Amino acid sequence: MAFLTPLFLIGLAALAVPVLIHLTQKERKSVVHFPSLMFLRKIPYESVQRRRIRDWFLLLLRLAAIAMIVGAFARPFLRGSGVAAAAGGARDIVVLLDRSYSMGYSDTWSRAQRAATEALSGATGADRISLVLFADTAEVALRSTPDASRAVAEITAAQPGPGSTKYGPAIKLAGSLLAESLLPRKEVILVSDFQRGGWQPDDTLRLPGGTTIRTVPVEGAQAASLALTPVSLLRTREANQPERVTVTAGVLNRTAAAAADVPIVLEFDGRVIQDLRISVAPNASQSVSFAPVTITTPNTRATVRLGTAGSASVDALPRDNVFHFVITPAAPVPVMTVSQGAADSMLYLSRALAIGEAPRFDVALQSPEALARDPLTRVRVIMLNDVPIGDALASKLVGFVEGGGGLLMALGPRATWPASRDAWLPATFGAPADRTRGAARLSGMDFGHAIFEPFRAPRSGDFSSARYYSYRTLRAAKDASVLARFDTGEPALVERSAGRGRVIVYASTLDLNWNDLALKPMFLPFVHQLGRHLSGFKEQPAWLTIGQVLDVDAAEVAAGATSGAAARAGVQRTILTPSGQRRELAPPNAPAPGATPAAAAIELTDQGFYEIRGAGREAGPVIVAASNVDLAESNLDRMDPQELVAAVTGNGTSGATPAQDVLPDEAQELAQRVWWYLLFAGILLLITETVIAHRLSRARS
Amino acid sequence: MALANPVPGARFVDPKVLARIGNLEFVAKTVVDGLINGTHRSPFFGASVDFAEHRGYVAGDDIRRVDWRVYARTDKYYIKEFEADSNANFTVLLDVSKSMGFGGDSISKLDYAKTLAACLAYLGNAQRDRVGLITFDEAVVHHVPPSAKHLDVVLHTLDKVEARKPGHLVGPLRKLAEHFGRRGIVIVISDFYAEPEEVFDAVGPIRFRGNDVVLFHVLDPREIEFSFTDPSSFEDMESGDQMPIVPVKLAADYRRLVEAHIEALTKQASQKQIDYMLLNTSMPLDFALFRFLSTRERLARSR
Repeated sequence: MAFLTPLFLIGLAALAVPVLIHLTQKERKSVVHFPSLMFLRKIPYESVQRRRIRDWFLLLLRLAAIAMIVGAFARPFLRGSGVAAAAGGARDIVVLLDRSYSMGYSDTWSRAQRAATEALSGATGADRISLVLFADTAEVALRSTPDASRAVAEITAAQPGPGSTKYGPAIKLAGSLLAESLLPRKEVILVSDFQRGGWQPDDTLRLPGGTTIRTVPVEGAQAASLALTPVSLLRTREANQPERVTVTAGVLNRTAAAAADVPIVLEFDGRVIQDLRISVAPNASQSVSFAPVTITTPNTRATVRLGTAGSASVDALPRDNVFHFVITPAAPVPVMTVSQGAADSMLYLSRALAIGEAPRFDVALQSPEALARDPLTRVRVIMLNDVPIGDALASKLVGFVEGGGGLLMALGPRATWPASRDAWLPATFGAPADRTRGAARLSGMDFGHAIFEPFRAPRSGDFSSARYYSYRTLRAAKDASVLARFDTGEPALVERSAGRGRVIVYASTLDLNWNDLALKPMFLPFVHQLGRHLSGFKEQPAWLTIGQVLDVDAAEVAAGATSGAAARAGVQRTILTPSGQRRELAPPNAPAPGATPAAAAIELTDQGFYEIRGAGREAGPVIVAASNVDLAESNLDRMDPQELVAAVTGNGTSGATPAQDVLPDEAQELAQRVWWYLLFAGILLLITETVIAHRLSRARS
Repeated sequence: MALANPVPGARFVDPKVLARIGNLEFVAKTVVDGLINGTHRSPFFGASVDFAEHRGYVAGDDIRRVDWRVYARTDKYYIKEFEADSNANFTVLLDVSKSMGFGGDSISKLDYAKTLAACLAYLGNAQRDRVGLITFDEAVVHHVPPSAKHLDVVLHTLDKVEARKPGHLVGPLRKLAEHFGRRGIVIVISDFYAEPEEVFDAVGPIRFRGNDVVLFHVLDPREIEFSFTDPSSFEDMESGDQMPIVPVKLAADYRRLVEAHIEALTKQASQKQIDYMLLNTSMPLDFALFRFLSTRERLARSR
């Protein structure tokens, strides 16, 4: 008998406690005040006699309980017992089973299942088996079990997924599992098709020392393999005509056999629109363009498919024979421009915004009075040019911005803002500065900011050519960003996030009254950048790849969401996945004041179409995102498994070390678990002692 | 220890009931009046008119004390002397050591002793004696000099005494012996937790000065019978020492020792012509007084 933590045996000193309590408790039971002990002292009597232990049985129960509990903490075990006598020492086996979609090629998957099962056939009862299923991510399907049949059942039940191969996460996970192992032999069995594209050498990938890695390459029977490349979309628009889209698809033949007359179809919302045939030479690609189609409804779910739906696959790897994408007519960003003066004061701005497609701005000119009446539910960006703002309107604008809208305040001589809400603006503004005798110029732009990023490169626009004859002096708030300054050093453009939206204060006007910026070539891209940034617009791709993240907020803006809808949709959204599962997308936590709000996002894990709907009657637009498999995974070029073995073991060998004949103490103790029985027995004895003591006490009283 | 049979006709007052009465004068009056009414005669000292002897007249003697009848018969002057003065000093020495506080839920020994002292003082005062009081523990605590007018002071002092300190007989009593120059009656009330020799060493000097000494040995019934049952730690009330005791095993030995102690006190008191009376606090006070006075009268006749 040995102990894993013998220091705990010091706790056996606690055995003296019940004895002392037993002896001292009755001593202190009662004190009788007696006039004199004169006579009592004369009586020959051994006072220790009364300290005899009366309830021997109870005392023994207590002592035994304490001894057992202390013993349990010391973790005893029988050294060199039969449990440790497995031939060659017990193994901790981690099976890494590749389930990327390339494993679905031909009969590769069934071969992989058989190979993994056979690899486990030599496992003994002393061995521990873990099963890790991996593609681009890795997950533990079974953790450290001695039951090989469970591992086989898990392997049999597993199916290849839509992910692409990445060995790194799987190796890391196996390393962490083996790092916890107490068994003398550690073994990794890697069952994969060993695609070259799945391996990125990484010095940080190392298995624990002494780990043996056994590679089991599986290869399906040779068969045809075609793959669809991402489509290209050509949008055309003619005056007063709806938008037309031409879809061009590419087909890649990765085998040495030519593919002839392969059907390829274009489907919109599940209906076949066009049906063509294509022939591809060996190890070559071929593209095919479908006839232009008119897109009138948003979120049209388009699919290009090799072969026809419901028929047998045209090759041995069906997952890459389909390509999903979403076609949506470009939705304009609704912008409201407000000016106090004549309508032509906003001429330059409205004309500048009217030009452009990505995004298109739908500009509406309003007077301040109309702005006060507008509920602001159909607008994404408001641009104020020299407008006095009262308290009521300021309150309305604050709500608009914090709900997700964008606000640009261009300041002229008449611009005001209620003093009570000064702290909300990124900058407080003072009296106009007159620079008619020496025009001020813009300098010190923050080219790292999204607004000025297009002007970063040399000869991309010279803002200093614009002359400012007057401007309002600004004092930027502490948490605001100054995006541009005048040559005097005073802030010219100041920004701050507010709630889910943004607000920018511009020290001068957007017309020609105080400056001539509107006459300069950079005016158009500048106001476009302002509009894009304030609206949060991001061009949405027609498709994404599995593993990418969909920015739901940006997608809503691109789909024409207004600020009100965005604010409401921020509360709750429902996601419908390609597999038909429905789940809730929790709204992101409220951001700290001045901080950029966290975006709502989902990671794409399935192949097909994701649909996101906002909750409520006035929810924002429905978002549909297409998710496709990674085309690189369809490249079945193989690597040498030894390359991977050498990288993760560090010495180019399999890393095997001589097995120990006997398990280490920790492993033996873990296998025997004597402490558990001792602890249980100790607690049982304590309960018995309590019951007996209670009954004895009642009987005596 | 069994109590003596009560005397028919006497009214026995329960000490516990008396202990609840705060006014000691009232208690003493109640007890003593009841006692006198019950016996129809006072058995106490009537010595002030008792003839003792004749002696020859010497110059300076009061001629009023000349026995003229003897002169008529013998033609010589003789002075007639009496046994004692009618107004003798009557002093109560009360032990107020901590051990006297024992009593638990019944009357304490000190309360019993205080009531007894009050009764005796009242009785003495009724006899026109000068009553005084001395309380002591390890030293003298209160001293009320004997006086015909000091009954109130004595009762008041008795009322306020408390058992606070450990006691010691020899020291204070030897010191007090010097003050008993005039012969009188000295009553010592104590639990006498000392060896008999030590007790009589303490009271001996008082007796040698011609005082009539009476010892009242006050004990609680549990001190005599040792009726404890549970094993406990017994703590000496005076020294604070503790001793683990299993009463069942010790009771017999303890009772034997206590009986031997009482017997030794009784015997030595008799040898030294000192009156000794054991009082159990469960014994009614007037019965205890009656028994004591009866015994004294009997002894006075025999002396």
